[in-house]
Amino acid sequence: MNNEKNLWQEVAQGLKTWAQVNSPWALHFNSGSCNGCDIEILATLTPRYDLERMGVTLQGSPRHADVLLCTGAVTRQARERLERIYAQMHEPKFVVAIGACALTGGVFQGCYNVMDGIDKVIPVNAYIPGCPPRPEAIIDGVVKLLNSLLPPDRQMRPALPEEEKAVQA
Amino acid sequence: MNTEEIMNLANGIAHAWDWATETSQPRPNHLDVTVKQLKELLPIAVGLRVKRLGQLSAIVGLDLGLEANEIEVLYHFCPGEAEIVLRVRVPRQGGELPTLSEVFPIAEVFERELHEMYGIEIAGLRNTERLYLPENWPAGVYPMLKDFDPKVLSEPEGKA
Amino acid sequence: MAETNVTPKRFTIPIGPQHPALKEPGHFQFTVDGEIVTGAYVRLGYAHRGIEKAAEERNWIQNLYLLERVCGICSHVHALAYCLAVEKLANVEAPPRAQAIRVLVAELERIHSHFLWMGVSAHEAGFDTLFMYSWRDRETVMDLLEGLTGNRVNYSANQLGGVKCDVDAAQADSIRKGLEFLEERTHHYLNVISHDTSFLQRTRGIGVMTRAQAEVMGAIGPTARASNVARDLRVEAPYAAYKTFPVKVVLDERGDLEARFEVRIKELFESFRLIREILEALPEGELVARMPRRIPAGEAIMRLEAPRGEVFYYIRSGGGDKPERLKVRTPTICNLTSVVRLAVGHQLADVPMILAGIDPCFSCNDRMVQVTAADNGSEKLMTWEELRKYGIDFYRRQAK
Repeated sequence: MNNEKNLWQEVAQGLKTWAQVNSPWALHFNSGSCNGCDIEILATLTPRYDLERMGVTLQGSPRHADVLLCTGAVTRQARERLERIYAQMHEPKFVVAIGACALTGGVFQGCYNVMDGIDKVIPVNAYIPGCPPRPEAIIDGVVKLLNSLLPPDRQMRPALPEEEKAVQA
Repeated sequence: MNTEEIMNLANGIAHAWDWATETSQPRPNHLDVTVKQLKELLPIAVGLRVKRLGQLSAIVGLDLGLEANEIEVLYHFCPGEAEIVLRVRVPRQGGELPTLSEVFPIAEVFERELHEMYGIEIAGLRNTERLYLPENWPAGVYPMLKDFDPKVLSEPEGKA
Repeated sequence: MAETNVTPKRFTIPIGPQHPALKEPGHFQFTVDGEIVTGAYVRLGYAHRGIEKAAEERNWIQNLYLLERVCGICSHVHALAYCLAVEKLANVEAPPRAQAIRVLVAELERIHSHFLWMGVSAHEAGFDTLFMYSWRDRETVMDLLEGLTGNRVNYSANQLGGVKCDVDAAQADSIRKGLEFLEERTHHYLNVISHDTSFLQRTRGIGVMTRAQAEVMGAIGPTARASNVARDLRVEAPYAAYKTFPVKVVLDERGDLEARFEVRIKELFESFRLIREILEALPEGELVARMPRRIPAGEAIMRLEAPRGEVFYYIRSGGGDKPERLKVRTPTICNLTSVVRLAVGHQLADVPMILAGIDPCFSCNDRMVQVTAADNGSEKLMTWEELRKYGIDFYRRQAK
């Protein structure tokens, strides 16, 4: 009986992870950035980079979103909004901080109206540096985050040299 | 109107108020008008507006420091290539300026900014709500003053 | 359409704050009487970072990098305005080749910005095909900018006294090739926005601003030019190399959203022509003029035509290694006043398009709009996305 329950839970968990990894819904929030990162996020969704092929689609409401793509150094005015949006998202939720400002405050570090980074306000799961990060870097960051959700034996990892040789041979 | 005509016209307007102004022209396209009597600011601005020189580009505040204890406010009018600057001075504490927003609708946002950044009261401004600073910003703290100390913005819930 | 015998419910609809208009994402509040907007109100400050204060604490060189990040879309214009103003103070003039390259990058940036805007505002109208196409084509100009300066955004092409990047023959060729493709696409887009019936329904006769209104409310940039106000600093007060490479002002007298679309797209053709001219006649010579370390005391005003309108810089130097005061006035703030007044009397469904029409750096404005139902005091949340969908559905119902 106990075993059966465990099996059931395992299957449910596996299904949940599968769903999450294959179609994470993202919400984009600008907490006071210069727009550079935001246009790059938008660019990753458009045909050249097409983040949707990873199953990622941009959502309008925090209640539907799994991943919060966050840019900007968090201004005092935006701080409360950011906290509220984070609270509105359902578990499990992930936060990706995009751009130098979102990581540490960037060039705006020390300005009177900024909080110097997303992680000063809400917990962050992945950091993507760059000013702004290239679309490829954003895709890479999101994929790495999704990869980390998989059970260890199914995670993607860079190929070892001998494996690469085997593929080439 | 070319720049020269604009400058002549603007010079004429400034000279009509010569008992209240001091005019200089450091560059051919730049007219600097110091308005010494505050109540003449609005009439001069209206004069510019009537002569179609009233493209208000920006209102800039300048904190002249604790010693001078004054704030200089610059009204930049930029028709075409010309730059016409009206300068007025107000005390650092309790300064008051007349609003230009009745004549130049665009002045409203500039004046609201001036009010919250420097603490200058704008007489007759319809909407004096905050434009840039956050809602929980402490009252009586003006970030663009030279003696502004960011330490007054203490963390509310001890999250740092 | 309006049900006159039913007491209309009054709503207050706050829109924003994810609305990064250059340096300040706005928060709009509209009061609505049934479907008609009766009042509007703006609250900025969600991206207010205190750049003007920070600029007083950084030295002349550091400020270049700070000011480039006032806005990620028109970063070159901000850096250029700063450089030109500081050069004015120091009485240094950048060499002609540097000035030409500055204009070249500025025009490439205008192309990227207008393409971006076209896509985003088409998205607001529910025309996602145009959004995807224009952003796909925008990547061409992003590649050109990257090839030229090394960065996709925040190009960092300027330095005090000149530019950092040069244009060689291979780069010039790739720019010409890219422009050829873009020009062909732009012809197509001009055709789409002026002939597609369902799109015209969202743009024609909407948000009309007359010439007198535009002048009084201080509208600038393409928004003003679509109302037949001939204000373009590239022509009025030519800076950098615009004296040697003049542009034509694109005007339209209709003043509605369609005119704003057409003016911006026609400006693209001007940019293509100008870039080709610059590449043909790029002056030879140095890229940088020597700048003093300390900038002499004085005041300088610099006004530039950004893709969205006039950018105003005021710099005061006290003779030290830092500026004493630096004031930035971005174009969106001027146009916001006009747009807020324009929205009054329009359908709520048109609000997203009217806002998009001034190009308020809209890229991330979507999401999170609150609707407060004022009739029974209850609060309801409406996202920007929902408002956009509402607008699209509204027109779909009308079409039936």
